[in-house]
Amino acid sequence: MRRFNLPPQVVRLVLLTIGIVGSYMVARYFLTPKSFGQYGWYRGDALMERASLPRVYAGMKACDECHSDKLQQLAKFPHKTLSCEVCHGPGGAHAKDPDVKLAVLTYGHCVRCHEANPTRPKWHKQINIREHYSGQKCTECHVPHAPSEVP
Amino acid sequence: MKKKLSRRNLLTKLGLAAAAAAAAPAAKAAKATVQKVLVTADAPKGYDPKDHKWQMVIDANRCIGCGHCAEACKTENHVPEGHYYRTWIERYIVTKPKPGSAETRGEVLVDSPEGGMRGFGPPPVPKEDIQQSFFVPKLCNLCEHSPCAQVCPVGATFDTPDGAVLVDPKYCIGCGFCIQACPYGCRFMSPVTRTAEKCTLCYHRITRGLRPACVEVCPTQSRIFGDLKHPLPDDPLQNFFKNNRVNTLKPHLGTEPRVAYAGIDKEVR
Repeated sequence: MRRFNLPPQVVRLVLLTIGIVGSYMVARYFLTPKSFGQYGWYRGDALMERASLPRVYAGMKACDECHSDKLQQLAKFPHKTLSCEVCHGPGGAHAKDPDVKLAVLTYGHCVRCHEANPTRPKWHKQINIREHYSGQKCTECHVPHAPSEVP
Repeated sequence: MKKKLSRRNLLTKLGLAAAAAAAAPAAKAAKATVQKVLVTADAPKGYDPKDHKWQMVIDANRCIGCGHCAEACKTENHVPEGHYYRTWIERYIVTKPKPGSAETRGEVLVDSPEGGMRGFGPPPVPKEDIQQSFFVPKLCNLCEHSPCAQVCPVGATFDTPDGAVLVDPKYCIGCGFCIQACPYGCRFMSPVTRTAEKCTLCYHRITRGLRPACVEVCPTQSRIFGDLKHPLPDDPLQNFFKNNRVNTLKPHLGTEPRVAYAGIDKEVR
């Protein structure tokens, strides 16, 4: 004698539902990464994975460790806003191993910022490369670490 | 011939199965730990994302269009060759109105050769025809309500607690919804990894106290970067908001970008 005489199709439906929901819960438990939800609706480990990528640019603090004299000199001139790596190129490898040399500078590094262009703001010092002592090197008159308008 | 399963045999087998079942999660955890150590061996120590709120702002009045930022971004983040940029510079040229046209301004010309990463050549129109011209560096706008994060079907892109918007390359399925959703065109599909890529605010640098590569090499301090939760004495970020009237790009979309611009025109989108 059964107390609850449920129709068999209902029993099967209930069992099927429990089976589906249960297998979903089990799969969810095993497939969700540990750090999911640590900060939000995403994998928290992704942050530190992203943060552990290698750096190419060393940053000015690294330059200051060995070349503080140059930085102190630079700070007195309009080029004080420049970081070393603007002109000298990425220095991450050089900061780790001083034997790795930085890129060799050419006049192209000067004209990249200082060539006249009507879009450039007026306060910025600009020269027309064809008219301004054409054929001479910039460093014959100007010192990049101590720039001045009148050499 | 049927092999007889004795009680001893059965118990041994059951015991082994139980031991294996118990060891499996331990082995899985050990493997996960090893993987995590390998991947994050170089992770910054003691960095708490909840203790920072990074922000970048752009002073377009100071941008000289040298393109060092776009170039440095490519180098620092190993962005694929070709027309893929996480940050780039646009040149806006507004020409003078035609005489007698009763307009305040003529055409608006926008160009960005190679994302500006090699600098800009002479303007496409004669100097005399230019009414106004300026450079605008562009990057991820770090939206408060990021459309890219909202549309991602797998939770692979998200706003971090410290203000960056990142892509988890292990979860990204490369569907490209986020690229369509970004109103600022700041995302692209990497041809190398086949996942969405974007400006990470140089997350590997800022978590170690370094500035993002583009900010590091900006010669005129057009790009200003700082931590809102730990302002420096005479903080450049605070000074920027104090001294400028700022605007954001496409404010009508309700994305509330955190990247603020000073000195841009209404033509900039």
